Amino acid sequence: MNYSFDFASVFRNFGPLWDGLLVTIELTIAANAIGLTFGFVLALLVMSRSPVVRLPVTLFIEFFRCTPAIIQIVWFFYCVPMLFNVFLGSVTMGILALGLNLAAFNAEAYRAAIQAVPREQLDAGVALGLTPFQRVFYIVLPTAVRNSIPVLLTNGIGIFQQSALVAIVAVQDLMYQGKTLATQTYRPIETFTIVALFYFAVSFPVSQIVGYLERRREALAS
Amino acid sequence: MSDTAPLVKIEGLHKSYGGVVKVLQGLDIEMKAGDRVVVIGPSGGGKSTLLRVLMGLEQIDGGSIVFGGKPYISANGNGKTAIDAKVRRSIGMVFQHYTLFPHLDVIGNLILAPMKVRGEKKAEAEARAMALLTRFGLAQKAKSYPAQLSGGQKQRVAIARALMLDPKLMLFDEVTSALDPELVAEVEQVILQLAKQQMPMVIVTHDMWFAKNIASRVIFCAGGVVVEDGPPEQVLGSPREERTREFIERVFHIKH
Repeated sequence: MNYSFDFASVFRNFGPLWDGLLVTIELTIAANAIGLTFGFVLALLVMSRSPVVRLPVTLFIEFFRCTPAIIQIVWFFYCVPMLFNVFLGSVTMGILALGLNLAAFNAEAYRAAIQAVPREQLDAGVALGLTPFQRVFYIVLPTAVRNSIPVLLTNGIGIFQQSALVAIVAVQDLMYQGKTLATQTYRPIETFTIVALFYFAVSFPVSQIVGYLERRREALAS
Repeated sequence: MSDTAPLVKIEGLHKSYGGVVKVLQGLDIEMKAGDRVVVIGPSGGGKSTLLRVLMGLEQIDGGSIVFGGKPYISANGNGKTAIDAKVRRSIGMVFQHYTLFPHLDVIGNLILAPMKVRGEKKAEAEARAMALLTRFGLAQKAKSYPAQLSGGQKQRVAIARALMLDPKLMLFDEVTSALDPELVAEVEQVILQLAKQQMPMVIVTHDMWFAKNIASRVIFCAGGVVVEDGPPEQVLGSPREERTREFIERVFHIKH
C-alpha cells in the first residue's frame, strides 16, 4: 500500500472537531443528568407493590433496553414531531433520546443495588425502631447509591460513545464533524483515527476510575 | 413491676411461611423480668422464628404476645398481625450477620436510632455512645468503619447499638455462629456482663458452655412447640424428655 498519510490536513481543521467534541460532551452531560435522576425515579416506581404503577414502568424500561439506540434516536427525531407536533431542536431531541435510554439502564442499576442491600440490614432498622421511611433513607439508599456508582459511571461513559449515533440526525457532534471533515479533506483514515482518539481520550480515564472504584469496593466489602 | 409478674407472655403462637411450612405450632412461654432464657433445638424447630416474632419482624397466624402487661402482638383473624410499634421499641435485638450499617462509622451506627427515633441531640447521644464503647473496650474504634473491624468487634458494636435505646429485653439470635472460634469469647463476655446487670434476655445459641453460664432457664424447642422448659442443670444436665436428651447428645456430644 503506497498511501501517504497526511495528518496535517486534519490538524489544520481542528476547530470543527473541537466544537464537535464540545457538543458531544454537552449531550453526554445532559443525558447523564436525565439518566441519573429520572433513572432513580424509575427504579423506585418499578419496585412498587402496585402493578398499576409497576407494569407501565417495566414496559418503558424494557422498551429502551430491548431496542437499538439508533432506532430510539431516529424515532424521537422523526416520529415524535409528527405524532405530537413538537420539535425542540436537534440537540434537545438527541439529549432526550439518549437521556431516556440511559435512564432505563440506570434504573436497572439502581434497582439491583437497592435489592442487594442485605435483608438483615432492614431487620436491624426495625429492631432499632426506625420508621419505614427512615429505613429507606438512612440505611438502604446510602449503601445502594454507593454500590451502584461503578455501573452508573460505566453506563454514563457508554452514552458518551452511543452519542455518536445522533450524527445521523444531523446533530453537529464530534462524529458529525468528523464525517464532514473526512469528506472535505478526502482524508477519512486520518480524520476517523483522530476522532476515535478523541473518544478514547475521554472514555479511557473514566473506565480506569471505574476499575479503581470496583477494586476499592471489593476491598471494603465486609 | 414485681418480679413475679410476667415480662413476656406468649400464648398459642402459630406461624407458617406461606401457610405451608408450619414453623411455630402453638407456642406458650411466660418469661419473668429476671429471666435469661436460652432457647435450644434443632434447626427448623422455630428458635430463630420465635426471636424474629418477638422482635416484631414477622407476621403471625395465631396467638398473642403481651409485653410488660401491655398487648404487643396479636393475630386479628383476617390474616393481619397487629404490632404495637411503641412496645417494640423497648426490645433490642442482635443478629447473626450484616448487623452494622456499612456506610456509617461505629459511633454513627450507635447514634442513628437515638437521634432519629428519640430525637436525642447529637452531642448527648455521642457522649452516651462513647461511654458504652469504653465499657466494651471499643473506644479507640469509634471512628472506624464496620469493614475495618473483626467479626467479634462488629458484634460487640451491634450489642452496644441495641443498648443505646435502653431496651427492657434483649434478643440474641446466634450472634456468635458466624464468628471464628477465637472471637466467640469476647462477644460472650459482653453478654455475660449484661446478664450480671440483670438485663432480661432471650438467647438462641449452639454454644453449650455459654448456655450453661448465662441461662437462668433453658427452653428446648422442636417442631414448633416447647418440648422442655426448666433450669439449665435440668434441661442440659438431665433432660426429662427423650427428644431433648437425643438432641443434646447429638449436638453437644454429651452422653448421659
